[in-house]
Amino acid sequence: MIQQLFGYLSLYIPEVICVILMTTLLVAESTVKDENASRGKIIGYALAVLLVTLGFLFSNLGEAPEHIFHNAITIDPFSTLIKIVMVVGTMGAIFLSYSSKDIYPNLKSEFSIMAVGVLIGGMLLASANNMLTLYLGIETLSILSYVMSSFKRDEASSTEAGMKYALYGGLSAGVALYGISHLYGALGSIQFVEMVAKLPSLQGTSLAIVLVSFVLFFVGIGYKISLFPFHMWTPDVYQGSPIPVTAFFAIVPKMAGLAALIRISMIFFSEVQVLTVSWVGLMIVISAMTMTVGNVTAIGQNSVKRLLAFSSIGHVGLMILGVVVLNDVGIRAILFYGIVYMFMTLIAFYITSHLSDMYGTDSYDVFRGLIYKHPVMAIIMAAVLFSLAGMPPFSGFIAKFNIFSVVIEKKLYGIAIVAAINSVISLYYYVKLAKTMIFGQADGEVKVAGFTPMNQAVIIGLFIPVLFLGIFWEKVMVISGNAVIYIK
Amino acid sequence: MNGILNWILWLPIIGMVAVILTPKAKDNVIRLLTLVTTSITLVLSVLLYLKFDTTTAAMQFVVKVPWIEQFHINYFLGIDGITMLMTFLNALLFFICTLSSWTVEKNVKAYFSLLLMLQSTVFGVFFALDFFLFYVYWEVMLLPMFFLIGIWGGENREYAAIKFFLYTFFGSIFMLVGIIALYYATGKGPDSFNILAHQGGKFINETVTIFGHNFSFEHIFFWFMFLGFAIKVPVFPFHTWLPHAHVQAPTAVSVILAGVLLKMGTYGFLRIAFPIFPQAAVQSSTIIAVLGLISVIYGAFCAMAQDDVKKLVAYSSVSHMGFVMLGLSAMTTQGMNGAVLQMFNHGTSTAMMFLLIGILYERSHHRWIMKPDGSKGYGGLSTKLPKYTTVFIIGMFASLGLPGLSGFISEALIFLGIYQKFTTITIIAVVGLLIGAAYLLWMFKRMFFGEVNPEIEDYDDMNAREVFYMLPLCIAVIVFGIFPSPLLNVMKASVGQLVDLMAKF
Repeated sequence: MIQQLFGYLSLYIPEVICVILMTTLLVAESTVKDENASRGKIIGYALAVLLVTLGFLFSNLGEAPEHIFHNAITIDPFSTLIKIVMVVGTMGAIFLSYSSKDIYPNLKSEFSIMAVGVLIGGMLLASANNMLTLYLGIETLSILSYVMSSFKRDEASSTEAGMKYALYGGLSAGVALYGISHLYGALGSIQFVEMVAKLPSLQGTSLAIVLVSFVLFFVGIGYKISLFPFHMWTPDVYQGSPIPVTAFFAIVPKMAGLAALIRISMIFFSEVQVLTVSWVGLMIVISAMTMTVGNVTAIGQNSVKRLLAFSSIGHVGLMILGVVVLNDVGIRAILFYGIVYMFMTLIAFYITSHLSDMYGTDSYDVFRGLIYKHPVMAIIMAAVLFSLAGMPPFSGFIAKFNIFSVVIEKKLYGIAIVAAINSVISLYYYVKLAKTMIFGQADGEVKVAGFTPMNQAVIIGLFIPVLFLGIFWEKVMVISGNAVIYIK
Repeated sequence: MNGILNWILWLPIIGMVAVILTPKAKDNVIRLLTLVTTSITLVLSVLLYLKFDTTTAAMQFVVKVPWIEQFHINYFLGIDGITMLMTFLNALLFFICTLSSWTVEKNVKAYFSLLLMLQSTVFGVFFALDFFLFYVYWEVMLLPMFFLIGIWGGENREYAAIKFFLYTFFGSIFMLVGIIALYYATGKGPDSFNILAHQGGKFINETVTIFGHNFSFEHIFFWFMFLGFAIKVPVFPFHTWLPHAHVQAPTAVSVILAGVLLKMGTYGFLRIAFPIFPQAAVQSSTIIAVLGLISVIYGAFCAMAQDDVKKLVAYSSVSHMGFVMLGLSAMTTQGMNGAVLQMFNHGTSTAMMFLLIGILYERSHHRWIMKPDGSKGYGGLSTKLPKYTTVFIIGMFASLGLPGLSGFISEALIFLGIYQKFTTITIIAVVGLLIGAAYLLWMFKRMFFGEVNPEIEDYDDMNAREVFYMLPLCIAVIVFGIFPSPLLNVMKASVGQLVDLMAKF
């Protein structure tokens, strides 16, 4: 028994490390006396440990899937890859929190604790192999997220964000749990494997009940990855939260939610014809609505943070088209998209954060004439915006190309056209921002502080994959392709 | 010789890197570096022309290296007769534009590096025989254009740059859908991104379902591709971005835009839309001809109404590219030859017009034929600037198709080609020529004749640099007007092959 437990734990090292990290951070935080110096050390420690976690995850990448803790958790290349993206995203957010003025100095190490906690929830969600683990994952992820979004305690908007997030989150989690209870009733188990085995024997009404329960359950995940019509909270929460938190929200919970959505869709909906057809139909409509709403609403925004929030809705709408096709290449496309999207989002938020620290606002105006103040940063930001819009030679194009190609392979031309038109809409608002940066004249005094050499180095480092994966993307496609083999 | 396309394609990028590495203050070094790069490219393209085998329609100087093996994407380059001409035109115009941009003072480094990047991407579009590569170049080309218009353009440059960008992107994203559909229609095999392998009407019997309706694969994706290319040409009603882009763009960028970028659209028809979807193309030829006709007539009337001389020339481009579309829609030997020849000739004559307007603008800082307050913008230029007037006359008459100059031959060939197929359209299109003569001559009268406007008293005539870069174009329009066979011979085999292919459907 004990031996078996240790055997399990050896596969579970990344999560265990994260839990240890979180507790030690908690202890370290409470013992700190000297404010700034030791906080830097704490953050350095967190980043170093996350780097070790990353190493373990990479070494797990090639392993065959294992189901541990009585089938509650699956460790497979798919979940490992998602975890890698989440860990890198968390590291990015923690690093950003260190220099950001949006996170008050006395809360900086607290931010790391929360972020690692959310990361643990996300890892649980990505690995979940039964409904209970899944729900646990969602809740762990959510509860800490609520706290993070109201991190600026003395600001009304941040408190409002936390409140909104908690209310919406609580409601949708409740609905999801309701769906899960129905699924348990209809299928007699919470284990994915046992549940799916029951599916083919279902007829008529019970099948309908199962479908409805899945839709209820879907509310919970749809809320986490802000799909239409559960996206309402996103802009306010993104805007109210401090920028490092927003960057974090745009990556970690989204990837975790997507992982769960992918796993559920792949396991449950490729078996029974009726379920497949209705699920695919639902997903197509939701995807089309999500991207259209996200992109169209983004046009009118004046706050860059809000713009990125809406555009992230648009991107998720596009990503879930990879789920619609319910096959390996579709998931591969999402994974590639997720990896690329993480880098692009981090850069966009980094630059926005530094500018907003300098000028105290994140409106378009702070970007005006950036090219004359920080040519390199302006060029990188412009490249990232074009990449987000799906322009070659940047990796965003390859990500989009992959999604388009899986959709067209299934001959879903209608949704492909909707996605194409959405690309044009998204290009409009990205170009508008790029225009402000590059064509606009810098007015007022030129402030050169903000981008310290360290920050610039990190931004350039993050930019390399954005460029590189746009031209030599085969390797990452192969890795993503290998990750999805065992998913069913 | 096989690597020569690689050299032509990457030399501008090497030049660009060199320009970027040059210290910012050394403007003249940057200009010289650009000039050296573009002249070597020009020499290489002349070399290419000399080595070019005119007897075959097959692709020459082919380079094929696997790029993304999993998807069968190749770095696949090659040229035939049509692209040979375009390559030469591109090399020539960029060389000339470097010289004409000598007076650019704002952000010299960025300007010339973007110009070189643009040249490389345009070469890429013409060389690429792999669909993925083609699309990448087609799109990347937008980035330098966007910045060149947006940073160095006129007053309303931001609007023009965004409109240009969005419009083209809108067309090309549909093209992307088409490219991917072709990839799957051919079964993801080794040739699925090979443009040449798709040619010859292989998709006639396929169907697609869009929003629950069945369509013919050929027709639907022909129109997808059509959208992408027609916006680029631009064919009426997709031309609205062009006047803005032209008027706002700096001189050199206008020259490139009219001279080679518009040709990418018609090149797309020749290389992709027509040979890959021949049946749809043949069945839609009337629509294409009518759209071409509307472009000819409407563009000419719009040009006549302009008070801004650059806008006038911009609309005349719409009109002249309409002739190319007419020639293409004929799908006969004369028509196609005429169309390709018109692509080249329009490239030289419009480039002349835009360069001349640029030269004038540097002196007057406005482009009004008639100022908004009703007074004359110029007037009597012919007495003050004799050299300038001479060159202007050559360019203008080449543009309106005077026999003996290059525009005439290509337009005559186009009319020969379409007369049998669309008689009525031909007759109406001839009126377009007449309107063309009218607006050009009227413009000439208002600007060059009449009383000498006091404002132009102190204008200098063309200096040596300006004469030097106008000279090759003057020679080209005169020589190819009398003796077009060097051009026709190069394209004969390739165009012949396309006409034979279209004749089967």
